[in-house]
Amino acid sequence: MAASNSSRLFKAGRSILGGLSNNSVGASRPSYDMTCMDFVSQQQRAFIQMRTNLKVVDNSGAKRVMCIQALKGRKGARLGDTIIASVKEANMGGKVKKGEVHYAVVVRAAMQRARCDGSEVQFDDNAVVLINKQGEPIGTRVFGPVPHELRRKKHIKILSLAEHMA
Amino acid sequence: MRLEKCWFCSSTVYPGHGIQYVRNDAKIFRFCRSKCHKNFKMKRNPRKVKWTKAYRRLHGKDMTQDATFEFERKRNRPERYDRNVTENTLKAIKKIDKVRVDREARHHANRMKGKKVQLRREAAKELEQSIHMVKAPVVLLQDPSLTLPKIKVQVSQQQTEDNRMEE
Repeated sequence: MAASNSSRLFKAGRSILGGLSNNSVGASRPSYDMTCMDFVSQQQRAFIQMRTNLKVVDNSGAKRVMCIQALKGRKGARLGDTIIASVKEANMGGKVKKGEVHYAVVVRAAMQRARCDGSEVQFDDNAVVLINKQGEPIGTRVFGPVPHELRRKKHIKILSLAEHMA
Repeated sequence: MRLEKCWFCSSTVYPGHGIQYVRNDAKIFRFCRSKCHKNFKMKRNPRKVKWTKAYRRLHGKDMTQDATFEFERKRNRPERYDRNVTENTLKAIKKIDKVRVDREARHHANRMKGKKVQLRREAAKELEQSIHMVKAPVVLLQDPSLTLPKIKVQVSQQQTEDNRMEE
């Protein structure tokens, strides 16, 4: 239920973005068939770009975060990339407050990413873990599965904190 | 390298093929091609989709229990590389495949056993019941050469008596 609601929000957000900025960072979005959206319960796959809402899956205090810049990647961030994000929703008494700007690394992306053996992985939602400038996570726990791709990007600490590795 | 099974159709996924979808509860679904992936997204139950192995096993169309399936069980302990073992395994794989295919063919033949007889019986019945669609019965009575062709049925005392009674 929550997933379908959030996916509807994302779709609405993307259409607004499409109307506002034609030549912005995420101009060329991969085109997916809009007609099959009725019964496809999973999220539409797209890059993580400016104004993308993401879920925070550590215990740093933030709940939702909005991407304000995707470092690396013309079209946007993918699984394993770092982004700069602004905290939109936070828990009371957490390490981060609403309105703060932090670096974050994408640990789950609904867009499939190729693996070195040729197959592709995709997750159920878009999720990040907040990190500091040096790449160390702010929180002390990570929830949900994380991909192997983080090992190459040298986010070993996040991998060690994770409960499942996909 | 590991050969996985597609979650939807149970065919093998070779390296370089397919998509794996990781759900938030860390359950991994592997699909061999986008057909299976799309069916999964449509929330179809593979046990109800006719062309999947799950359906065929459930409805008795394919073998369910066999000793040859034990060889394909998932093993999580890596084996130390031994050249002889590898050679023997490769030979064994070929043999086991042959045995399995033979057993499946036998299972299929068993399943289709009474088909020929049933078809014959149905054809005979249709012939006597629906001959009026081909030629009018009046014409059949008038012209004796237009009698029904002789049908070779399974010889049993009862049936030959019935035929004699009809004529």
